[in-house]
Amino acid sequence: MKVAVFWGCCIQANQYAYEMSLRETLPKFDIELVDLQESICCGDPVKSVNEFAANFLAARVLALANLTGLDSLLVPCNRCHFTISENQNIMKKNPKTAQKIIDLLKEEGLRYNPNIKIWHTIDLMHDLIGLGKVKKAVKQPLKGLRVATHVGCQIIRYSDLGRVDDAESPQKLDELIRALGGEAVDYAEKLDCCGAALMRSHPDSALSLAGSKLKAVQNLSVGGMVVSCPDCQLMFDAKQKDAGTTVGAKLHVPVVYYTQLLGLALGIDEKKLGLHLNQSPTEEILAEISS
Amino acid sequence: MARVGVYVCHCGSNIAGVVNVEKVAQYAKSLPDVVTSKHYTYMCSESGQQLIQDDIKAHKLDRIVIATCSPRMHEETFRRVVAEGGLNPYLTEIVNLREHVSWAHMHEPEKATEKAKALVRMGVARARILEPLEKRKVRAEKSVLVVGGGIAGIQASLDLANAGFEVYLVEKAPSIGGRMAQLDKTFPTLDCSMCILAPKMIDCGHHPNVHLLTYSEVKAVKGFVGNFRVTVLKKPRYVDEKKCNGCLICTEKCPAEAQNEFDEYMGVRKAIYMPFMQAVPRVAVIDKETCLECGLCERVCPSKAVNREQEQEEIELDVGAIILATGFDVFDPSVVSEYGYKRFKNIVTAMELERLVSAFGPTGGNLIRPSDGKIPKSLAFIQCVGSRDKRFHEHCCRVGCMATLKQAILAREKIHGNIKIYVCYIDLRAFGKGYEEFYRRARDMDIDFVAGIPSEIHSASDDSLYFDVYDKGTNRLLEVHADLVVLGTELVPASDTQRISALLHASRSADGFLLEAHPKLRPLESVMAGVFLAGACQGPKDIPDTVAQAGGAAAKAIDLLSSGEIELEPLKAVVDTDLCSGCRICESICPFVAIEMKPEIVNGEEKPRAEVIEAVCQGCGLCSAACPTGAVKIQQYNNRQVLTQVEAALVETCAEGGR
Amino acid sequence: MAKPNLESRDKILSKLSGRELVNCFQCIKCTSGCTALKLLELKPHEIIKLVNLGFVDELPSSDIIWTCVTCLKCVQRCPQKASPYHVIMALRNFAVEREAKVPEGYLKIVSQILETGLAESPQKIVTKNMETIDRECLKLPKIKHPKESFQAFFMKAMEER
Repeated sequence: MKVAVFWGCCIQANQYAYEMSLRETLPKFDIELVDLQESICCGDPVKSVNEFAANFLAARVLALANLTGLDSLLVPCNRCHFTISENQNIMKKNPKTAQKIIDLLKEEGLRYNPNIKIWHTIDLMHDLIGLGKVKKAVKQPLKGLRVATHVGCQIIRYSDLGRVDDAESPQKLDELIRALGGEAVDYAEKLDCCGAALMRSHPDSALSLAGSKLKAVQNLSVGGMVVSCPDCQLMFDAKQKDAGTTVGAKLHVPVVYYTQLLGLALGIDEKKLGLHLNQSPTEEILAEISS
Repeated sequence: MARVGVYVCHCGSNIAGVVNVEKVAQYAKSLPDVVTSKHYTYMCSESGQQLIQDDIKAHKLDRIVIATCSPRMHEETFRRVVAEGGLNPYLTEIVNLREHVSWAHMHEPEKATEKAKALVRMGVARARILEPLEKRKVRAEKSVLVVGGGIAGIQASLDLANAGFEVYLVEKAPSIGGRMAQLDKTFPTLDCSMCILAPKMIDCGHHPNVHLLTYSEVKAVKGFVGNFRVTVLKKPRYVDEKKCNGCLICTEKCPAEAQNEFDEYMGVRKAIYMPFMQAVPRVAVIDKETCLECGLCERVCPSKAVNREQEQEEIELDVGAIILATGFDVFDPSVVSEYGYKRFKNIVTAMELERLVSAFGPTGGNLIRPSDGKIPKSLAFIQCVGSRDKRFHEHCCRVGCMATLKQAILAREKIHGNIKIYVCYIDLRAFGKGYEEFYRRARDMDIDFVAGIPSEIHSASDDSLYFDVYDKGTNRLLEVHADLVVLGTELVPASDTQRISALLHASRSADGFLLEAHPKLRPLESVMAGVFLAGACQGPKDIPDTVAQAGGAAAKAIDLLSSGEIELEPLKAVVDTDLCSGCRICESICPFVAIEMKPEIVNGEEKPRAEVIEAVCQGCGLCSAACPTGAVKIQQYNNRQVLTQVEAALVETCAEGGR
Repeated sequence: MAKPNLESRDKILSKLSGRELVNCFQCIKCTSGCTALKLLELKPHEIIKLVNLGFVDELPSSDIIWTCVTCLKCVQRCPQKASPYHVIMALRNFAVEREAKVPEGYLKIVSQILETGLAESPQKIVTKNMETIDRECLKLPKIKHPKESFQAFFMKAMEER
């Protein structure tokens, strides 16, 4: 099945492992990713400056998706997924704004398509592909690897929009881990935010939030932390050292994308999954699942 | 040729302060068929009334037009006056010069006066072609069905029974008592709930005029006010009510267990069980789903009361009125997932806590934690769970604040040692008699009142709970640890309210509770004639309000039925069967189910013809408007009677009488 | 004593898709669960109340509106759907309109988007093993920048209030 894909900014700017692991694993489930003909920002950071312009950008992404002729769009980044989902709702509920945006797009020769289904990595795997197919495709089960999942904030809230998973007890990523032969533990801090949004203006507070969560996960004595958003990965993986300094703790938590674990379970080479790009001690995960 | 008398009321200065009543009376004199036209300060006064009666004789009047305040105020009065003056009361027409003129156009007296003249012209035009009508009487059954055996149903039943009425009290549970039986103590007196309820339950069970139909449900209702035919389904107890003496040997021996619904599923009961110690009727019941069919109960019963072949019974009742007292359910807070109810062990609802502290509850009245049976060293109450919440229910449960205050006070009194008690609230409502004093009593007991509610609750490894809550008063974020958390949960309509509402055409309001005929002035009547409302089924309320409402509903039923007859207003729909084509549009459109199709032999063939059930018809006019042949007319509101006013309205008012 | 300015309040209301903000009855649930409360003293309930009473003008120039982490917990859990997050976004837009203090990171991103279409340009990563990697050596597809017309239309959209 062909699915259009919108990467957003951070995946294409520095979170290469997410793109790599998605491009490697999805074809194993007969999903062919079709890139949009332009790379633009979804509008998320522009919301704080001008919400109308932010909505214009999000609608433009859907207009670009429309050019592919496909009715499904994979948006692997949590923030992009929220921004585009909220935009779809605004275009439906606010006809004045919608008309202005549609007219601007028309002028540029683009057409806004309201009927495109937006997917995130998690529900694409859990609902579209299905746990059954995931289980079947596993060649090297994870040998009971215990992990703490972090789905993030903007794909579970706010429920009225229709999100990827339940806002208070998200289980899909946990179930996807189990489908790989791993174990997902429950923990009180599961729904805590990574703090990424504050990096621009209050980096210390952002790192403090990330550090607190990492500390809590470290105390669980699990094999690692699994995320599905490039912003979260940036905070927990790339910034782990800084986060540790900020909260005064020695942090040593392997942090990976779900799609990287998925790739390992499918028997794909770790370099192809970008595991060498992770800054956190991912070799410990590799050691645990290969032993 | 009619002889019309017109009376323009000053209504003190209410009308005369804006409208030139003299000019209006003068104008009316010039209208065709108006024989006399007067104006007077207070037409509703004795002298005003006398004036009309004198004029009827003196001028041989046969139509009366009174231009005064809204007919909702005095139409009945003036009809009586006219009737006493010797005319048919329905030859009276009220023209509203107050709500429709002086009060609406206070600052435009000239235009108001012109409008008043036009309205009087319209009233006279209509009055000329009014028809004399008679009220009709139908026989009424002097018996009442009470649906629901909680305190509301019990109170209403006793009031009705004492007034000499036969009462059929239908209750779906195996015992009457309802929610009040589940409570430990009641606010603000801290009376033991069962101690004040049980005597009433027993009276109900013994009263010769009260017929208890427990473990029963209303299945169908036909008929109309004064003459309802109700079908009640009596579910099989598999125990003979006449033989069982409540000795409980069967429950001792029964090997099968189930969760006890009376204890909010926190304790167990047997498959054959007594609903609770003080049950009325004190008869055991078998829950066939849990029953192992071992037959032990049958063998050990000394009275041979077990009958495992018992069948359900359908009972037909004829009653004159119905009182709905179907009560409430407690909202299930599992959907407020951020609070962890059912996910974590030591979070309970307020009703569950009632059972925990009740002397005949699952712990014998010991306030202990469900997870380990230990006495909590800290307790936190969280208010408004599921209420005042657009995500779940918007209405306030009304009693949550008082219930929590009561439980907090009881906890303080029951548990020795200075345990920490928190009450997290949005607003604290202590509105009733003695309630504010009760709140002050709670504040005197070292209870921490936190002005704010938490966003989420977490569980620690020892199954105790913790959460952050910001307090408005101190502007501090408090970290609360509690061994036990009590959720002050919303109250919602009982689960079968929708079914009952549909059966009886008793509408519900937006919150799902049964709808009263008028929120301020008619809180005891449903929109269906002869159906009354008592207790929480109309909206959550405390025991004092419930008992008051139940007594009121009983009084309404007594008022309705005491003469043995119902008098019907004639302003109803009537069908001219010669014009009726049997299309059934009126039947389908009537919101009160007041039209029936009756077969009539037309040219040797049986054809359906519409017939109006006068007692149920409210005269709304929908059928008349929809009828394609004009067969259905509303008495006193036929096409001519309405259109003549329209014609009169469209004529210019001029000095000499509107042509 | 600051005086309320109902005009400014109405401006904020007009930026929101609904009027639910006025339904707030100060249950404090938002602040109780606010991710930014402990570290940055953000009190969403206070911001809503200030806006409701008309004390809007002091907010765009304060730092507090930039402390929101956008975790959306307040939107999810508010019993009156007053959505403090959306009010804060509206106040941020207001701050930009009034040319009040805006963290420069945001304005930098807008120029970046104008120039390249993306909020950030592809970076070189230094791995744990001290290798320097970029998109090309990972054989990832080249970034396709938007056509020329994009700039003008994005600017047009930015002019809309």
